[in-house]
Amino acid sequence: MVNAIPHLFHGLLRAPATFLGWFQERWERMDLFDERHVERSRTNPWYALGGMWYWVWILVIISGVILMIYYIPVTDQAYHSIERIQQNWRWGPVPIGAICRGLHKYGADAFIILATLRVYRMWFTGEYKQANEFSFIIALLLMIIGMYSGLTGYLLIWNQRALWATKVMATFPTYLDQNPAWLPMGHLINLSNQGKTTAQILLGGTSIGPATVTRFYAFHFMLSFIPMIFFELRVYRKGFRRMNINHWAKFAVFCIILAIALFIPAAQGSPANPEVTPNPILSDWYFLAMYHFLKLQDPYLATVLTVAIPFLVLAAMFLDRRPERAWGQRQIFNWIGIGGLIYFVAFSFLILNGIADLHRDAPLWYFSMGLFLLIGYGQDWAYVMKRDGKRWYETFHLFFVAFILVAMSANTLYHYFGDIRDWNVLGKAEMPKVLARLRETAPLATPDMAYEWLEQHHPTLNLWLTSGKGPRKPAGMELWLFHVVAWLGIIASGIVVGLTRWGRSKDAEAEAQAAKLKAKARPAPAAGA
Amino acid sequence: MMENQRRLFLKTLTSLPIIGGAILAANVVFRFFKPTAVGGLKGMLAPPDEAGSSVQIVADLSELTKPWDFKDFIYIRKSVEYSSRKIQGAKIPGFVVRMPDEFTTSDPKSKFVVVQRICPHLGCTFNFVKAPEELAGGYNYNPPPPTHPYFACPCHLSVYDPTRKQEVALQGLLPGKVVSGPAPRPPRTMSFDIKDGQIVITGTEGGGVG
Repeated sequence: MVNAIPHLFHGLLRAPATFLGWFQERWERMDLFDERHVERSRTNPWYALGGMWYWVWILVIISGVILMIYYIPVTDQAYHSIERIQQNWRWGPVPIGAICRGLHKYGADAFIILATLRVYRMWFTGEYKQANEFSFIIALLLMIIGMYSGLTGYLLIWNQRALWATKVMATFPTYLDQNPAWLPMGHLINLSNQGKTTAQILLGGTSIGPATVTRFYAFHFMLSFIPMIFFELRVYRKGFRRMNINHWAKFAVFCIILAIALFIPAAQGSPANPEVTPNPILSDWYFLAMYHFLKLQDPYLATVLTVAIPFLVLAAMFLDRRPERAWGQRQIFNWIGIGGLIYFVAFSFLILNGIADLHRDAPLWYFSMGLFLLIGYGQDWAYVMKRDGKRWYETFHLFFVAFILVAMSANTLYHYFGDIRDWNVLGKAEMPKVLARLRETAPLATPDMAYEWLEQHHPTLNLWLTSGKGPRKPAGMELWLFHVVAWLGIIASGIVVGLTRWGRSKDAEAEAQAAKLKAKARPAPAAGA
Repeated sequence: MMENQRRLFLKTLTSLPIIGGAILAANVVFRFFKPTAVGGLKGMLAPPDEAGSSVQIVADLSELTKPWDFKDFIYIRKSVEYSSRKIQGAKIPGFVVRMPDEFTTSDPKSKFVVVQRICPHLGCTFNFVKAPEELAGGYNYNPPPPTHPYFACPCHLSVYDPTRKQEVALQGLLPGKVVSGPAPRPPRTMSFDIKDGQIVITGTEGGGVG
């Protein structure tokens, strides 16, 4: 243990130089819009996605700039200016305004579809391997930027959907000020009010109003234009072809979007009214799954998890260390991708049909998540056994399986059979006394009623609301504490152990190098003498 | 080899002042986005901007005579705006509900439940739903008998029971206990008085997004 400390120190000392080299290698190999797959894209349309994506992006920017000429970014005129663009702006029989708006709207949808498909292609083919991580990170980042550009864009229409989506999106960060007290530093983070400040910066004040529209207008343009400038700079410096598709393909993409714009005019909805929320109220299609996710979670948890999803994807990418890229050889990561797709489709379907029950549904999704990982792990295990010609117990990663099993069964069993009240020792001890007191006046009082009385009169017991239907919270405080401690512990110990091992191997390398030099240097004086 | 790395390590150390400079520059940008921000550590820990309240008459007692009579009203709150106007009137929808006698005390104010109609979950405007079928169909909640009206939000299907109270940290017991859905607390409140047969709002609870 003590002997490992110098290795850890040497590992730390070497880290900056090695990281710089690691960074430079990936920076050089970065593939933003499949410009490194020109040959492949001729035969495989999956590799033309990047070129099409870039082309759609240009279409959206051009149509957007044309729309800017006639759009009025003021709350009481925005909706009507869109109406005028859509209906009154004609050139003879050609509805130019409607075409421009359709190109902009459906082009943006196409942008997100193409970005998503491309992220999935990279994920399923393990394209981020062989020092290509940055390509994947940029692809994911641009997809998220596209979604946020869409969100800031549809507020500009100033219709009901836009207003309520913006409200939900702006209230989101305020939950970052509500970290529970048991979280390390939680109270200090709350004190700094980062969440509310973020919301106020987004909205340009304490409520949605004229300043919000101006800001969102700026964000909307900035989000799509600044990445484009950086991409153009790279094209200029590296001198590669901008799009890997030919003019016919570009024309075909343009025609498809144009046809959709002509046959299905972009919808406008009813003007924004902060006094009435329509029921049902939905978001744009790419946020539907996320929106459903909000119905199934405690809002604090939902906020944290939503922010965490992209980081979890990136973490999963960095966990995939083996060089294999074939489909059957990395099943865990395939199942993460398939799982994401299933949740996206299923959640969108459920929200469109208005099916959501916090108490019934959430554990099912936890369970299925664990199930996907277990299936993937089983397949991966079989593959490793076959590859290395080993017996099952020689390749059994007990720890990994045990962790998934524990997390999955704890979540699921707890939901169906557990009761947070049984976990709360103080509350459990207090309940019979209260029950006895209640029965003095009401002989038919139940333990539920006693708990409810306790909850109202002793909030410090943290009974977490027991409203007759079982636990209201998706998971108990203790369970989440377990998760936080377990995960942080695993990550921290992984970093320390990894750095130590790496430092040790590097030290051994350096020693071998020195020994070699010594061996080389020794004969020289001998020859001289 | 090791020498080079040591040099790089020192370079990393000396780059810290540059990072500090970048943070200072970011501070300027931050002020640009949030002109009401105060500088320094004090500014970081200062509470965020809050909307101002004023006294407004919102309902007449003659409109609320029978149990479960309700009125939805709009309360205009002075909202901070980061523009040259600096302030705007934000519409805060609210509900005043006349409670049945079994839930009231001798205090005349206890006859009424006055809340902001902004859902404390993610800010949608919730409704006052009287029909249990509508609650079951539209909001995924089957009220236990005897049924009475509930507050219910169409966005993420939170349902609040106006007859019951729930503890909120630093605020005490507030009406509108969450009985279904993901909301973390009862609706935000409005402080009110009854003067000359009228309900007068004197202030609103802050937080959230108007």
